[in-house]
Amino acid sequence: MSDTGKIINKISSYMPRLGLSALILCLASGIVLVFYYRPMGNVFQNVEEITTLVPYGWFFRQLHYGSGQLFTILMLLHTLDHFLRKRYRIYLFKEWVLLIFSLCLCFFVLFTGFVLKGDKEGFFAGQIFMNILEAIPFIGGSVSKLFIVPGDSFFFLPYLYHCFFLPILIIYLIRDHIREWFPNQRFLLIGTAGLFLYAIFVRPAIDIPPEASVAMIQGPWFFLGVQTLLKFLPVLLAGLIIPGLFVGCLLILPVIKTDSPTRDHRGRIAYVGENGLHYLLVVALCFYGFLTLRAAIWGP
Amino acid sequence: MERRGFIKKGLSWLAYIFGAAALAYPVFLFMSFRKIRKKTVVFHPDEQLAAANFKEGIYLIKKGTDFNALSARCTHLGCTLNFDAVSQQFKCPCHGSLFAISGKWVSGPARKDLMSIPVETEANGDMEVEFEI
Repeated sequence: MSDTGKIINKISSYMPRLGLSALILCLASGIVLVFYYRPMGNVFQNVEEITTLVPYGWFFRQLHYGSGQLFTILMLLHTLDHFLRKRYRIYLFKEWVLLIFSLCLCFFVLFTGFVLKGDKEGFFAGQIFMNILEAIPFIGGSVSKLFIVPGDSFFFLPYLYHCFFLPILIIYLIRDHIREWFPNQRFLLIGTAGLFLYAIFVRPAIDIPPEASVAMIQGPWFFLGVQTLLKFLPVLLAGLIIPGLFVGCLLILPVIKTDSPTRDHRGRIAYVGENGLHYLLVVALCFYGFLTLRAAIWGP
Repeated sequence: MERRGFIKKGLSWLAYIFGAAALAYPVFLFMSFRKIRKKTVVFHPDEQLAAANFKEGIYLIKKGTDFNALSARCTHLGCTLNFDAVSQQFKCPCHGSLFAISGKWVSGPARKDLMSIPVETEANGDMEVEFEI
């Protein structure tokens, strides 16, 4: 194996281990924050009190934010690494589905965290999410109420998902997958040191009060592409069908895996199908990356 | 698999599916139930002076001596609209939809006009707007 190959393999093996350390820190800092955070009443004021009034609140908030982001980004890179090097072939279909589903849940946890800030951005993100779900024909109104409801308890269901349902479900789904990396004290130490430094030296972004009037609102970084699509395409298509199709195509990759083109007709079709789908997903990812970058620079 | 075995297996699967649905249906109805509540926003006389007065998700629009109320929710995905006094238009900060001061859709992804809400005038000059949340 070439030197570059060895380095790539090393980075590949470091990413999930470091990610797991971030997950431990995220859960620990989340447990601390739960003692002061309240999802009812004036949530924005509650979050501002955590940041400015409660001793070390700014530190725990930033540690929770940084570790959650790091865990999800590393899991995304870990999945991308497997996807680009076609290493999904080593997984059973069921295993691959569970892992991709867990990654989607990780993003949903980040999203609920973004909503729970209780500021204008968070409130609007929740509102948009609720309206996208309501756009589902026939059952949309009922489905949206399983995740978020307008009124005084707007933040309550996202809170339940963020603090209880999703973390438990994610850990349950990836329990076998993470067993071989856990625990690794070296990575835990490096991760803790890095994230502590981040939490100490990087101040939280300024939150926009819910009653403030601002010209433009941006969603979380991973939904900037969807926010741009929502501007130009119908809600159902941009908010659910396109992201759903992407995830669906990613899920079926191990089903049509082939090692090399065989001489028979079916083998050739499978080979073309797998490679075609793989490149299609690469193009879709690049396009989404472009939309995200465009929205981050010039606004959605 | 023999035909009898296939039918037996199919029937047992059907029983499982119906059983699960019978259990899931009341759970789904319980979880997705929400009581429709009404909210009243009162605009006192000193809150009725501008062309578009905003309070708790409602815009009270003044047109001469007449008033009408509009929901401040964008009809696209529900973000609260900003009023631009220069262009006399409402603008959505999330996806850029524009509405005229009358509530009519002008441009952007929203397509539908803003929801108009009846206004009641009280004897003391207060304007009451009641709407469902």
